[in-house]
Amino acid sequence: MKSAPFEHHQPTSVGEAVSLLESLDGPTVLSGGQSLVPMLRFRLANPDVVVDINGIEELDYLHEEDGSLKIGALARHADVEHSDLIAEKYGSFADAAPLVADPQIRNRGTVVGSVAQADPKGDWGSLLIAHDGEVVAQGPDGERVIPADEFFLLPYDTALDEDELITEVRVPVPSAREGSAYHKLKRKTGDYAMAGVGVRLQFDDDGVIESAGIGMTAVDITNARASDAEDHLEGERPSPDLFEEAGELAAEQSHPESDEHGDAAYKERMVDVLTQRALGDAAERAGVVRRTVKP
Amino acid sequence: MSETREITLTVNGTEETIEVEPRRLLVHAIREDLDLTGTHIGCDTGNCGACTVLVDGEPLKSCLMFAVQADGSEVETVEGMEDHPDAVDDLHPLQEGFHEEHGLQCGYCTPGMIMSGKALLEENPDPSEAEIREAISGNLCRCTGYQNIVKSIEYAAEKLADGERDDAEAVAADGGVSSADGPASFDGYDVDDDGEFSCGVENCCGGPSTDATHRGDER
Repeated sequence: MKSAPFEHHQPTSVGEAVSLLESLDGPTVLSGGQSLVPMLRFRLANPDVVVDINGIEELDYLHEEDGSLKIGALARHADVEHSDLIAEKYGSFADAAPLVADPQIRNRGTVVGSVAQADPKGDWGSLLIAHDGEVVAQGPDGERVIPADEFFLLPYDTALDEDELITEVRVPVPSAREGSAYHKLKRKTGDYAMAGVGVRLQFDDDGVIESAGIGMTAVDITNARASDAEDHLEGERPSPDLFEEAGELAAEQSHPESDEHGDAAYKERMVDVLTQRALGDAAERAGVVRRTVKP
Repeated sequence: MSETREITLTVNGTEETIEVEPRRLLVHAIREDLDLTGTHIGCDTGNCGACTVLVDGEPLKSCLMFAVQADGSEVETVEGMEDHPDAVDDLHPLQEGFHEEHGLQCGYCTPGMIMSGKALLEENPDPSEAEIREAISGNLCRCTGYQNIVKSIEYAAEKLADGERDDAEAVAADGGVSSADGPASFDGYDVDDDGEFSCGVENCCGGPSTDATHRGDER
């Protein structure tokens, strides 16, 4: 299949892109294109106008600044996968990156594009939720910062306006006693998640959980927060029993659908298991516990 | 709407200028506008990796990218392999590896596998089996079961390493490859005591049947 014809614009600055989005009729933003190009080819998307942001070099970054890890709109999945900064400090991102699709797609697809796509099976949204992250959008009226919890509305539907461009996503730089992890169950290499859980645990100096973040993939209509499990963890000391209880609460708060790969009850149990495993990794990475037996 | 645009690509070292519509996929530009049909279209959905080419040195799926997006880029396809500095007698060591190690049966996935393999070996000249498998995880093969594709890439890694050092004192790379000898004349498949071919798969590749009677005779 071929795409329907479209007008192709290649702005070289954010300002130029935003004014194009404002002035053109029904524009679609093309970043990595690893989801959009097939949608265009199968005519699931039929925009008259495509604004291709691959030429905006100022959006190609992945760094810490002003207390946040900032991932620019042109940072590819592979950039996260191969980043020393990520490997050193952001366990959940380091876990997730190699699990996104396959090497060729990771070389081209972008983290921000994946967030904008808002597929409930996408991995990055769960991490934005677990890390209390934000989506930064640039529109005709300037910059708007959207908390992750308010960004994902429905499958493929977000709080972004048509004339806005996401310039970056960001999460707070972890504190000294903080660890994070992402666990994903998939049928085969390169596939979307059947279930995925991203967790972040921040401890105080006494080893008590000060704050917890848990985001779930592919088990609700959007990436979803397991807030009951988070509340249960906060103020407690890590233990296998506590993590088991948190796993059960996360499973209860998930709403997976049965499909050809597994029924809802099975996926709920998997949320339970993945949550426990990710919590164990996060606590260990925070330097608070050491497990003798690993899952 | 469907106005064409002039783009310039450096394909296998040669600068090419073509007129394309913005909706033209890179793979179609390569196959149809440049007549380089070594790059295959397999699934048409971005899953199979048959259309993998290198764009500015990175392996990408050319069915998931528009040709206009490659304007000004260097593109490498399987046709460029024989002219590579490492090639001997019209075959790059990767191509030779696929030939020597039975890395293909139908051959449809091979160009994509070779390009993914090339990107890997440029990044990592001495990859482990796990690293090879990860590098080709975006390329589907429906014939071989991947074993011999891994061996083919290991063969190439070893051969390239041998080329790197004419000094015989150097330590051999640990590729786990046993067939460092040149190609011998073909005199049948090796069958071990268990009646299996040396590839480990019984009767997978047109070798002689190990059954006493051919199945066709039982009907």
